Amino acid sequence: MLEAIVSGLLTFFLAPAAIILGRRLRVVGVDVHKPWRPIVPKTGGLAIILGATAGMILGAHASGFQLFIPVILSCLVAASIGLVEDLREEIDPRLKPLLLIFASLPVLVLGAYSPRPLIPFLGKTRLYRVYPVLVMASYPVICNAVNSLDVLNGSALLTSIPFLIMSSVIFYMRGDLQLLILSLIFLAAAVAMLPYNMYPARTFIGNSGSLFIGAGITSIAIMGSIEVAAIIALMPQIMNEMYVLFSIRGLKSAKNIGRRPVVVENGMLAASEDPDAPITLLRMICAGIKVDERRAVYAMALISAFAAFLGFLTHILLLGG
Amino acid sequence: MGLARNILMIIILLTLVWAIFLFASYVITATVLYTLELPGDTITSIARVVLGIIIAGAWILGWYKLTKLWLYRVLLAGRRGNHSN
Repeated sequence: MLEAIVSGLLTFFLAPAAIILGRRLRVVGVDVHKPWRPIVPKTGGLAIILGATAGMILGAHASGFQLFIPVILSCLVAASIGLVEDLREEIDPRLKPLLLIFASLPVLVLGAYSPRPLIPFLGKTRLYRVYPVLVMASYPVICNAVNSLDVLNGSALLTSIPFLIMSSVIFYMRGDLQLLILSLIFLAAAVAMLPYNMYPARTFIGNSGSLFIGAGITSIAIMGSIEVAAIIALMPQIMNEMYVLFSIRGLKSAKNIGRRPVVVENGMLAASEDPDAPITLLRMICAGIKVDERRAVYAMALISAFAAFLGFLTHILLLGG
Repeated sequence: MGLARNILMIIILLTLVWAIFLFASYVITATVLYTLELPGDTITSIARVVLGIIIAGAWILGWYKLTKLWLYRVLLAGRRGNHSN
């Protein structure tokens, strides 16, 4: 468990340095959901990346490289793509999923997967040819899905934490110490960043942070063979991304979508009533009412916690634990 | 109350999507178990994968249609312009 403690403590104590670095380098963003529109550094993800990577290196040193090295490489590839976006500008939304496929390569090349996922009712399947393709597709889907919920202060972290708790419980029950440590490393980093990223945020985690966590979650699901539980637990993230893709008819940058899903009125969030506005989880939460940012994030977290519970239930009851 | 109602409605939506996922898995299982009786060749394997993709695609499309219906017919029903906490 030392690995998780290191991950959490490093993330917590490196966050102030990441904030200062963001201000110095002018890697900042506008917090558009507040009436005073504060300028916030978007370098908090660096603390998560350094903290969790240090934890994983420690894990690799203590209990073997087979599990941790592919995860470290996958996460760093995804984080690099996010870092480019944080430092320069958004990558073409049609190119970004293709780039994120590279995050799957360490897992595929190092053979850190089992092509026999468990499907409810069917049991263990044999997808020797199809599974690598699914692995390649899963990184862009999950990374973008986690990234797409990074819309409010703390929302990406609070919606990822339920998955990480679920996977930790599953691995604990299975007695798989290495995977448990891996889950706890990400959980500790996410929890440690909360005081800086929650309302009112002192830092954003940026695309680097959200893609790093997304790649971590994908790696945990694949290497831990909890694919189905992960799909269920990540339903809020997946449906948020899916709704946006369907409703704006294709891959487009958020900046290029004319109609916003949510409008801000005196610091309160209200769902757009424009039928052509993208359907997002936040728009559904705010449908017909006005909600303050803090409560909207708690609502997202509650919905994610419920989805994680369904994922856990599916794993225990239908996949034999 | 408004927020609690919306959260509850989204949770019900997720539960429905979950139930449909389990139903889709059951359909895939029933079909694949049947084809396992057939002699294993490449065409049968491809057919199984294609069937799985079609059923998964139908699930995603159904999920999207259900969500759209949920937003406009359930969450926003009779509440447009009626803002309250």
